[in-house]
Amino acid sequence: MNQLIETTVVLEIDGESVEVPQGETVLKAARALDIEIPVLCHDDRVEPAGCCRMCLVEVEGQRRLQPACTFKASPGMKVRTDTERVARHRRGLLSLYKADHRLDEAGKPVSRGVHDMLADHIATYGTGPELEPVNAPRVSREHDTNPYIQFDPDACVVCGLCVRYCDEVEAVSAITLLGRGSATTIGTADQRNLLDTSCELCGGCIAVCPTGAMTEKPSLALPTEQIVRSTCNFCGVGCQLDLHVAEVPVTIGAPASAKQTKRVTRVTSPEPGTTVNDGNLCIKGRFSYEFINHDERLKEPLIRGADGQLHPATWEQAIARVAEGLHGVKQRHGADALGFVSSSRCTGEENYLMQKLSRAAFGTNNCHQCAAT
Amino acid sequence: MFGAGAMTNSIPEIRDADLLFVIGSNTTEAHPIIAMEMKRAVGRGAKLIVADPRKIWLSEIADHHMQLQPGTDVALLNAMIHVIISENLYDAEFIAKHTEDFDSVREATLTTTPEWAEQITHVPADMIRETARAYATTRKAGIYYTLGITEHTHGTDNVYCLANLVLMTGHLGIRSAGMNPLRGQNNVQGANDAGASPIFYPGYQRVDDPAAQAKFEQAWGVPLSPDDGMNLNVMMKAMAKGMVKGMYVMGEDILLSEPNASNIEQGLNNIEFLVVQDIFLNETTRFADVVLPAACFAEKDGVFTNSDRRVQRVRKAVDAPGQARADWEILCDVARACGYPMPHYANAGEVYAEMAGLVDQFGGISHERIDRDGGLQWPCPDPEHPGTVTLHADGPIKGKAPFQATFYRPSEELPDNEYPLLLSTGRTLYHYNAATQTRRSSGAVARQPENFIEMHRKDAKKRGFVDGQMVKVSSRRGEILARVNVSPRMRLGCVWMPLHFGESNINYLTNDAGDPITGTAEYKVCAVRVEALEEASAAE
Repeated sequence: MNQLIETTVVLEIDGESVEVPQGETVLKAARALDIEIPVLCHDDRVEPAGCCRMCLVEVEGQRRLQPACTFKASPGMKVRTDTERVARHRRGLLSLYKADHRLDEAGKPVSRGVHDMLADHIATYGTGPELEPVNAPRVSREHDTNPYIQFDPDACVVCGLCVRYCDEVEAVSAITLLGRGSATTIGTADQRNLLDTSCELCGGCIAVCPTGAMTEKPSLALPTEQIVRSTCNFCGVGCQLDLHVAEVPVTIGAPASAKQTKRVTRVTSPEPGTTVNDGNLCIKGRFSYEFINHDERLKEPLIRGADGQLHPATWEQAIARVAEGLHGVKQRHGADALGFVSSSRCTGEENYLMQKLSRAAFGTNNCHQCAAT
Repeated sequence: MFGAGAMTNSIPEIRDADLLFVIGSNTTEAHPIIAMEMKRAVGRGAKLIVADPRKIWLSEIADHHMQLQPGTDVALLNAMIHVIISENLYDAEFIAKHTEDFDSVREATLTTTPEWAEQITHVPADMIRETARAYATTRKAGIYYTLGITEHTHGTDNVYCLANLVLMTGHLGIRSAGMNPLRGQNNVQGANDAGASPIFYPGYQRVDDPAAQAKFEQAWGVPLSPDDGMNLNVMMKAMAKGMVKGMYVMGEDILLSEPNASNIEQGLNNIEFLVVQDIFLNETTRFADVVLPAACFAEKDGVFTNSDRRVQRVRKAVDAPGQARADWEILCDVARACGYPMPHYANAGEVYAEMAGLVDQFGGISHERIDRDGGLQWPCPDPEHPGTVTLHADGPIKGKAPFQATFYRPSEELPDNEYPLLLSTGRTLYHYNAATQTRRSSGAVARQPENFIEMHRKDAKKRGFVDGQMVKVSSRRGEILARVNVSPRMRLGCVWMPLHFGESNINYLTNDAGDPITGTAEYKVCAVRVEALEEASAAE
């Protein structure tokens, strides 16, 4: 207990007292009090950089405003986030960002990505004087043929969070801050195609981008109507996924039987710190969902005919044929001449039912699943 | 091993580890998100030890990379055990309190010196000493392994060796330590938990245990067989020999995924009845009498259980295409058509509830509770139980954990004059197993459109190969074509191929010799020959 007391500090934020571990930042201390401090370039998974200046607060005894994300709490410190000086700073800063950002017809910052934090902050904190558009000469990689990740320089605030995520979390350092001054952009070495870099297409840059400058190419024009939390169907990590679903017209040329108009239009991770994947996904989890709506999906039961070909059948016919086929083998050769191959790709309930079918309906323990070998 | 077949610890604990011993796992490619936790630990200052025949991504940031000859893990690990015993670095108190038969391991490793192991593994003796010391003297030291350990004819021995290391150093029941098999598929853990096993009912209750048999007979209302069934490896061989005559295959392309594919093809040709239930046509459906269209994960409800025993929900987001239906609904209909009165479950949650009622460790888990609280890690015996993050916190679940002495023996098929190269197989980052899903993904196809064979530059030069050249790879069981990928990752004399490509199916090459206990096949070691195409066709 003594140890605990020695390693914590008590400070005051907006007049409220809070105790946090020594070395904790003002931002985290404020969160402990549920005091909202706006950020753009901050994410708990990377080292704080203090570069977007959105989180500046007043600290007693400090002449300048200080970034809450890097400024360490100390005993007796008095912090204010609710003063007119802080509010004026936020409005001025948001004006600057807005002048350097693509706007929609209503004058609102455009985002096509997961987050739209610039617009959110402007809605919450307002802007100061209307500034002339900057038209910064930031470049993108127009020629980049990678199928997933698009960078839209007009929506970028150059906070560098994507670069830091790529360095510190995915640790492949595929993207970098490139150029100088107002031309600074997010690029790759020699502006190479992402496929020719160390990029592993995890899409973490998209997930962390606060303004939607990094987006999924396949999802660009697609809406989200509903979000369904599920578990990834690839490896055994058990990443939690948010499947974004929307009504999308049936693909032209699809068979008339395709009733599927609701489609998975995007996959994102739940917030960092809430599930086992801590906000992260890999290329498979984030992008490999094209198969769900693929034309080659099996859409009806098939029975092999006398001609040796598979022919469409009704469920009644197919199930009757399965029962007859399995029973026939059991009658002729005994139950242990049957094998039931279950699947580590299917759900727990389905594996339970497959072994129950094998054991209870046919009396054999010849039931196993693919992952065993 | 210590009483439960699963990761002893949890994925979020990895970031706090002080030492990670990664063996037989190319974690950045096979389990990318777990690898992020490992990178985070290393960034924090944790020591990383990698044992892998290839220079994998993690070996680049490792403190030590033991680049062993494939299939020599037992020699390497027994040498580490030898060092820990001879330098008195073991945890005598833990051994006395929680284990038995330590002396058998002490005896078995008396002569397995690092110098002896260096001859077999080609790992420098000093490196073996250093890593053994580091592992034994670090408290938060976790072992992480996957199929590089188990897919051998001595896979069980490999696992015993790792368990011996964990037990002798007392690295059990502590946070960020333990013995952690990383499961390859989304629901390997859950499928095993649910009893898709020839020897276990759900929850690892033995089929030859009369009490378990009586319990399930009563629950299901029919007499049950007390005889062990065939594991998949045995089942495939029995099919080729004509002893298995009918098969129901759900969600696996056995022809693409099982070893020695020619043999399986022969079996499938002879089988009397085959039903395949899947989401796409595949290699195996070519032999099916009936094909049943199934819903994919985004189109149905249920649970997957991940590597750290976490039971999490799968939820229906969209409708299945056409008439496709969820596997669980199809299975119920089939059972009823076969004359078994399968209950009319209203939803997958009712199926889970039936299973949870029959397995103590899952008793507190239900769909409702997961929907409310998120994933739950078993054991979770009652609705108030919070689930279990770290297993064996109060000593091994099964009381005293036994040490198992092991002895190095070479893999079943080693290179010779006729087949001079050693082939290992595995997964890449971009594709997934039979790749029915990822080969329909643009990114994966852009990155890796076709099969390749990774090869040391000297092995390529000796044969006059250039990077990207199409070559013929053959073993005693079959032959396929692939492109040469001259790779700095490889050891001299060793080649590596991914398992994702149906038209160039590596399982025509692999050996179906199985581990004597688990039946797991030796995907990681077989002997092959690689020839230029012209040369090969001229010879024919």
